Amino acid sequence: MICYNCGANLTDHDFCTNCGADVGIYKKIMSTANLYYNEGLERAGVRDLSGAIISLRQCLKMNKNHVDARNLLGLVYFEMGEYVAALSEWVISKNLRPTKNIADDYLNMMQSNPARLDTISQTVKKYNQALSYCYQGSYDLAIIQLKKVVSLNPKHVQGRQLLALLYLNAEQWDDARKELERCIRIDVNNTTTLRYLKEANTVLEIDEAMTPPTKKKSITDTVTYHRGNETIIQPLNGKDTKMSSTIINILIGIAVGIAVACLLILPARISAAAEANDAKLKEIGEELDQKNSTINSLEQEKNGLTARVEKLENELATYTGEGGTISAMDNLLNATVAYMGNPEAESEVAAYLDQIDAGFLDQSTEAFKNLYNLLLSRVGAGVGTTYYEEGMHAYQNEMYDEAITQLTKAYAYDSTNYDALFNLANAYRKAGDKVNAISCYQTLVDSFPDTDLATRAQSYLNELDID
Amino acid sequence: MINFEEELKKFHPSLEIEEAEDAIYNQDMTDMADLLVGLIKDDKEGNNRTGKKHL
Repeated sequence: MICYNCGANLTDHDFCTNCGADVGIYKKIMSTANLYYNEGLERAGVRDLSGAIISLRQCLKMNKNHVDARNLLGLVYFEMGEYVAALSEWVISKNLRPTKNIADDYLNMMQSNPARLDTISQTVKKYNQALSYCYQGSYDLAIIQLKKVVSLNPKHVQGRQLLALLYLNAEQWDDARKELERCIRIDVNNTTTLRYLKEANTVLEIDEAMTPPTKKKSITDTVTYHRGNETIIQPLNGKDTKMSSTIINILIGIAVGIAVACLLILPARISAAAEANDAKLKEIGEELDQKNSTINSLEQEKNGLTARVEKLENELATYTGEGGTISAMDNLLNATVAYMGNPEAESEVAAYLDQIDAGFLDQSTEAFKNLYNLLLSRVGAGVGTTYYEEGMHAYQNEMYDEAITQLTKAYAYDSTNYDALFNLANAYRKAGDKVNAISCYQTLVDSFPDTDLATRAQSYLNELDID
Repeated sequence: MINFEEELKKFHPSLEIEEAEDAIYNQDMTDMADLLVGLIKDDKEGNNRTGKKHL
């Protein structure tokens, strides 16, 4: 407790030890305020909310700065559904003690929920509207409005009391009592509630006293008889249900059930089954499309791989096949080995060189060509003469095919041997191969124009052209 | 027996949220302690005036 004059802490003395002010009465007022606060706290603890409000208000009349009393008063208002009054008390409390104040939490709780604030606002407006209806005499409308109020805010004691009053006025005693009993559960010692409840109970007790007791069914309303060892008790007014009508009712029930099933359940089931089938078909279709796509891609891949294999096989054949790179290389190497072993073995060297395909020479490397041409120049002249002689021998014996073969080789080994070329052309002509004959004659005319054989070749050409 | 009209007069409209601010500002916050301090202050001033007259 602090001095009202200087703000110093007070002691047990009736005067301020700091400024000397007389604080005897002031201390009594503060003590009375605390007394009222304690009383209010006790009343609130036993749910005597209206009593607590009176005590706490008295406390605040003594000491307006009693923050605990103000916070508790706000809580009591809140419990009675008077949210605006509760908010007011907490706001004042917060202003009196801005920090370490529980009112801060209460205010945050209220403000953090805009929906709750809106409900509170609606409740207050509806209550005021109901009161307005009451003043105007529209009690039915007021009851409707108050029902909404207590539905939105079940703890609104004033709303329930007014509703109970309206019920009492309308002589709806039971309804009034129910509302008042709910009020009692919130505020146990509210004078207004207790007064209204007493009124309602009084009327209801009188009514109960005046109402004759309800007639109970006597056991004599039954007929009792014995059949063998059994005692059968049958009501007098009981309806004798006939078996046939029961069966008919059951059949009608079954028929109605089937009809309902057909009209309501079956179409739904069919629709559901159709939808399930559609979904399944769609799923299968999608799966099929996916598989087709996979097959197509695999086929394309297979075709690509097949083409690649063929290409690789062809490439391999050019290396390993007859007339391929490896074969040509082998022949050239064999020819070289034969020549190096015996430079006079021209026929053996020529045999190896003959096996090298002329077409391969065009594609071969420069080194291969050089070696081939070197060997050819070394053995070419001698080999060419040998082939020429063999070719001429065959020609003279009219073995033109053999002659063509040998003379072709002779010209190939010795490209200056125009005799071989001329006789080759003659062999073609006599063998009936005009095209090759003309080609050979033309080569002779073009390559060796100043020779006698060229003149003769030209005459043969003229002759063949005329034919 | 309850008099409905009289009972009805005991019910008053509740404060709406929009009116809460005005209600807080207009609340009479004077307490017993304020009254006491005021009385003591008045008493002191009265004594001072009397003392001055005597002087």
